[in-house]
Amino acid sequence: MKNNKKPKVQYSRSDILSGYGFCALWLVGFMVFTLYPIIQTLIFSFSNVTVDSGSFQTESVGFSNYIYALSKDTDFINGIKDYVIKLVLYVPVITVISLILAMLLNSKLKGTGFFRTVFFLPVIITSGPVIGIFIEQGVASFPGIEQLINFESLAGTVPQFLLDALQFLTSEFIMILWFSGIQILVFMTGLQKMDKNMYEAAQIDGASKWEMFWKLTLPALNPTIVLNVVFTVVMQSVFSLNPIVMRITSAYTEQGATGGFGYSSAMAWIYFIVMLALLGVSVLIFKKHERRVKK
Amino acid sequence: MASFQGKKINPKHFHISQLKFYIILLPFAVFMVLPIIYIFTTAFKPADELFKFPPSFFVKNPTWDNYKALFELMAGSSVPASRYLFNSVIVTILTVVISIFLAVSAGYVLSKKNFKGRNVLFEINTLALMFVPIAVSIPRFIIIVNLGLVDRFITNILPIIAMPIGVFLLKQFVDQIPDPLIEAAKMDGAGEWTILFRVIIPMVRPALATVAILSFQSAWGNVEASTLYLNNESLKTFAYYITTFSSGGSSTVTQGITAASALIMFLPNLIIFICMQSKVMDTMAHSGIK
Repeated sequence: MKNNKKPKVQYSRSDILSGYGFCALWLVGFMVFTLYPIIQTLIFSFSNVTVDSGSFQTESVGFSNYIYALSKDTDFINGIKDYVIKLVLYVPVITVISLILAMLLNSKLKGTGFFRTVFFLPVIITSGPVIGIFIEQGVASFPGIEQLINFESLAGTVPQFLLDALQFLTSEFIMILWFSGIQILVFMTGLQKMDKNMYEAAQIDGASKWEMFWKLTLPALNPTIVLNVVFTVVMQSVFSLNPIVMRITSAYTEQGATGGFGYSSAMAWIYFIVMLALLGVSVLIFKKHERRVKK
Repeated sequence: MASFQGKKINPKHFHISQLKFYIILLPFAVFMVLPIIYIFTTAFKPADELFKFPPSFFVKNPTWDNYKALFELMAGSSVPASRYLFNSVIVTILTVVISIFLAVSAGYVLSKKNFKGRNVLFEINTLALMFVPIAVSIPRFIIIVNLGLVDRFITNILPIIAMPIGVFLLKQFVDQIPDPLIEAAKMDGAGEWTILFRVIIPMVRPALATVAILSFQSAWGNVEASTLYLNNESLKTFAYYITTFSSGGSSTVTQGITAASALIMFLPNLIIFICMQSKVMDTMAHSGIK
């Protein structure tokens, strides 16, 4: 990042050699099996793809796949809307909860080793083969938590959208916890990399724990927060049971106007662009903050 | 850092002032553990308990019936189940080892070396991470056909060894290693490989273990290759084999088999996790620099 700002960058020969050398193998694999297929879907998204005796025939149809998805396919449009709202609620909550848990797990406490393991455990649930069964069987929602807070009584005093958000978050609480495993780990690493002398100095200057958190911990954690936000958005978006991902998957095998590889690819690209926009916004918010801190 | 303070995470004795932490941590911990217990109990539920609504958490009359049905089906298949299992073990081991190696070497140079296109490469990797994976399976299929890889064992491994998520995580962790440490290693005459294996890898061990877990899961649970790119039954993986039993409708037998096979598929994940987690949680603290 820094190098971009300098007018001319001198690359050292050995850096170039080892740089390309070390990532060459990965690069080839990545290009062939990930990047090229993604570009191929872009071509597909502008065409009507038919399977003809084992080979794929593409016929260019311009933007019609996109136009159909954005104007007529109400399932898809509503899905995108729900996804945006869900992400806007999920990301801050996951970030805050994982930060709090990471700080607790980092404190000097008997049995932290055990707790750290337990909190990392959901990593194998959310990316494993069983998450579908959980959601289907309702294990992911916590029966009774809705009754715990009396939403009806709040109806008059709090704006409706806030109430909806609150209701959504309480019902999705377990899912949020399950999706925090890696974020907690990343925060913990960030916290442990912190310079302890800084806290000592602050303590001598008479700063309280609360002030230390806001003035020392949080600014120093900013890059970690950005990393976690990006990670959360990505993980949520490509989660295999995400309704839009499921819609794209099912369109893959369907025929007709609402199916086919071409249409499915077009949906994947629209989804990708929406995701990118969301990510851009959330990163910008934190980057701006970072610059202000540096001044 | 005066000493390895971060290493001493556990104080020797319980103190009453710690109680407030436990009050917050314990309920959260319960939510994290419950699903695991649920997988175990469900696999041993008889048919009537499986269909109970709302589902009960604990099993009242544990039974082996689900497993009996599953093994009966397995005994009837044309290719022995052990063949699928063998394939899966080989595929998983190779994938985990190779993908970690590729990811850490790429992560190292993307973070610490200055070369043209470095930032672009990393940005592209991050973008690729966000693309819906299922959407690329047909283009992938076309590539595999063009490369002549259909019905080759290696097709199980090749598409998943370049892990965008691995490079993403590892690059971020390598970023946190201070440059002076690498300079010091260079001064002492370390070559690039020595730096990678003696400096970088030991210091990013938590990230490595995390990537290993993720890579293990994607390899162990991978059915894409077996469904789309392989026709020869004896090359397919155990995950695919298991799904052939559970996707056959929603009769009571199938439900039981699904629950039983879910536990079989899940157990290796849990075992790997338990083996890896000490490495994840350990050794994060020391940067070696004062």
